[in-house]
Amino acid sequence: EENKRRQTRSKRFENCKGGATVVKSFVKGRGGSASNRRASALKIALSCGDGNGQAVEDIDWDSLTIKGTCQEIEKRYLRLTSAPDPATVRPEEVLTKALKMVESTSKNYFYKCEQLKSIRQDLTVQRIRNELTVQVYEVHARAALEAGDLAEYNQCQTQLKTLYSEGISGCCNEFTAYSLLYIIFQNGSNRDLLSSIARLTPEAREDEAVKHSLAVRGAVALGNYIMFFRLYKTAPNLNFYLMDLYVERMRFEALRCMSRSYRPTLPLEVIARTLGFTNGAQADKDVLDECEEWVKAHGGQVVVDSASSERQFDAKASAATLFMPEPEDAVAHGDANLAVNDFLTRS
Amino acid sequence: MEWRGGAMEGSGGFVDRRLADYVSLITDSLASQDGSAFAAALAINATNSYAETVSSCLDHTKDPARILKQVDKHAPLGEMLLHHTRAMQCYHQNRYVDAYNSLEKSANAFLQEYRNWESTWAMEALHVIVYALRTVGEMADREMAMNGKAPDKLKGAGSFLMKVFGAIQGKGPKRVGALYVTCQLFKIYFKLGTVHMCRSVIRSIDTSRFFDFEDFPAKDRVTYMYYTGRLEVFNDNVSAADRKLTYALERCDPFKKANIRMILKYLVPVRLALGVLPKESLLTKYNLSEYIDVVRALKRGDVRLLRRALKANENNFFRSGVYLVLEKLESHVYRRLLRKIYNIQKQRDPGRAHQVRMEVILKAMKWLEVDMDMDEVECSMAILIHKALMKGYFSHKSRVVVLSKQDPFPKLAGRQQQ
Repeated sequence: EENKRRQTRSKRFENCKGGATVVKSFVKGRGGSASNRRASALKIALSCGDGNGQAVEDIDWDSLTIKGTCQEIEKRYLRLTSAPDPATVRPEEVLTKALKMVESTSKNYFYKCEQLKSIRQDLTVQRIRNELTVQVYEVHARAALEAGDLAEYNQCQTQLKTLYSEGISGCCNEFTAYSLLYIIFQNGSNRDLLSSIARLTPEAREDEAVKHSLAVRGAVALGNYIMFFRLYKTAPNLNFYLMDLYVERMRFEALRCMSRSYRPTLPLEVIARTLGFTNGAQADKDVLDECEEWVKAHGGQVVVDSASSERQFDAKASAATLFMPEPEDAVAHGDANLAVNDFLTRS
Repeated sequence: MEWRGGAMEGSGGFVDRRLADYVSLITDSLASQDGSAFAAALAINATNSYAETVSSCLDHTKDPARILKQVDKHAPLGEMLLHHTRAMQCYHQNRYVDAYNSLEKSANAFLQEYRNWESTWAMEALHVIVYALRTVGEMADREMAMNGKAPDKLKGAGSFLMKVFGAIQGKGPKRVGALYVTCQLFKIYFKLGTVHMCRSVIRSIDTSRFFDFEDFPAKDRVTYMYYTGRLEVFNDNVSAADRKLTYALERCDPFKKANIRMILKYLVPVRLALGVLPKESLLTKYNLSEYIDVVRALKRGDVRLLRRALKANENNFFRSGVYLVLEKLESHVYRRLLRKIYNIQKQRDPGRAHQVRMEVILKAMKWLEVDMDMDEVECSMAILIHKALMKGYFSHKSRVVVLSKQDPFPKLAGRQQQ
């Protein structure tokens, strides 16, 4: 089959003799950059053959794709504006080493992000779409999640979805779980959420990470804060980082719910325990302090019970005074990551 | 030549299978402005369509264009008929992608001409073409998928139908046909999963200053309310969904059991969220057994049964979009349980009935084999009070739910689901 195709291809080039010589002269000649030459070769290949033009599949893409020769493991990211010089593009073996380097480095997220973007670009330019590509996007997505870079995470997640659907293997259940949580917490449409869930394979539904995400979805839907924070403590992989997006909101909703239903007061210790302020069972003084600070920052009122000298959340009084404060890191244009001073001081 | 009325003899109706006879059909209907005849002539995948006849006519005709152009004496539809007959031929030969491509050209040519026609006599024909675009588009997509290509014909049909909608939805008598086109668009968008695209047509229909919704044909109004009701269900707007789906149900033909079932499939969960329980006989009559256990769970206050019912029909509920509405019924189930406990206590000791101890609730949960600890039960009670499904408060110190002495369980019907 492949041989037959190759034969037809070469026959076509034979037929347009004029075209073949033109190609040769173009390639030999020094006129124009590599991209111009490739563009002309492409045009000729497209116009060659019978009147209907060649099918996209028949064009010899392999001869048009460059193969990199660069051997540098570390490479800065420079966005491409024209066809790249093969000497600056790294071949697959080098990219594999580069990925290992990024995974084991102790440098910060900015460095990793740049290196990974550069690896991604080299892969794209050489049209390499295989397990290595998937690994690169997975590593980048995880790093982005840990650093709170949601935009980058989302980019990688989108690419991964396409790659997985092409049958390339990777940690697809892990990322399905992230994807579900992302839709929930980024206020995605119900329709998106429902169709994502409906499309889960039975095998995916049995995966622990996916089950966790689905349970989180259920807890959020019902406003069940107890369940939410229990799941927060037992989150697998990096589900925790995504749940983090919602913790503030869930805590506030829970506090509102408690202020309307408990009378007259509720021990602060209960709030600290059930709303995820503690890691283990009992809340010590530091945790209680943190909890009290948070409650007060949201308009809640805390009193000390005279009998037990236990700190209590005054539900009745707080019902009228609760509010959701402006986020601390709010910047005029909205994106804290772009705050100039902060950016310059980061190493 | 006298026109003999709508009922033709079916595919063997022509005397000597000449294309000219088909053209006569068309020209006669144009001359007498006979909407039904015109529509019947153009229909492609209806039961009495002329697709087969026209297809064999074309097989035996050397120069169809010359014959088809005869219609230009009455109206400039020669080009349209050329494409349309080709579409019929392709359809009859099961080449759906080719059929769709020709059909779109035909529809385009027709629309150019139709725009200039003042009266609405040909609306039925327009609808027939619109219907064909959708159904043939679907078949074309399937054919493309089978051949390993990414399907895009139905999407194209959607774009074209938007053009049609734009042409007729403005001022003027043609607007009466716009709702039919809207419904066909809904069907396309729902099939493609691009439901957000419904928004613009809905806005146009809902905010019309020139037309009263009630002036549209009843069939179209029922279909419209059914789809917009479903959209409200997707978005969790329970009272809006109730209004629209009930409208559809009340005006649906009672003999169209399949249609009633489709409406009920969405209306039942919505009504459950409003505290209205259907009779089990209704569910069996319309083959909606997936809701039977849900209703029983609500009646009994049995959380375990609700969860089990949701799990058993998970795929069905997620795909149809009612899952989100159903899972929120958990609060209602707790409410029912509390109410039962309250009623039992009222019988035993009316003075203290309004105080429900946590141990009692926990015991009830254990008996129902629901695995919940103290914190979880407290949380469920807090949510019930917060959502105003129950009036009262919770005392953490004494571990007691203190219900309001007056009307602790306010009526649900008509209340917006929170």
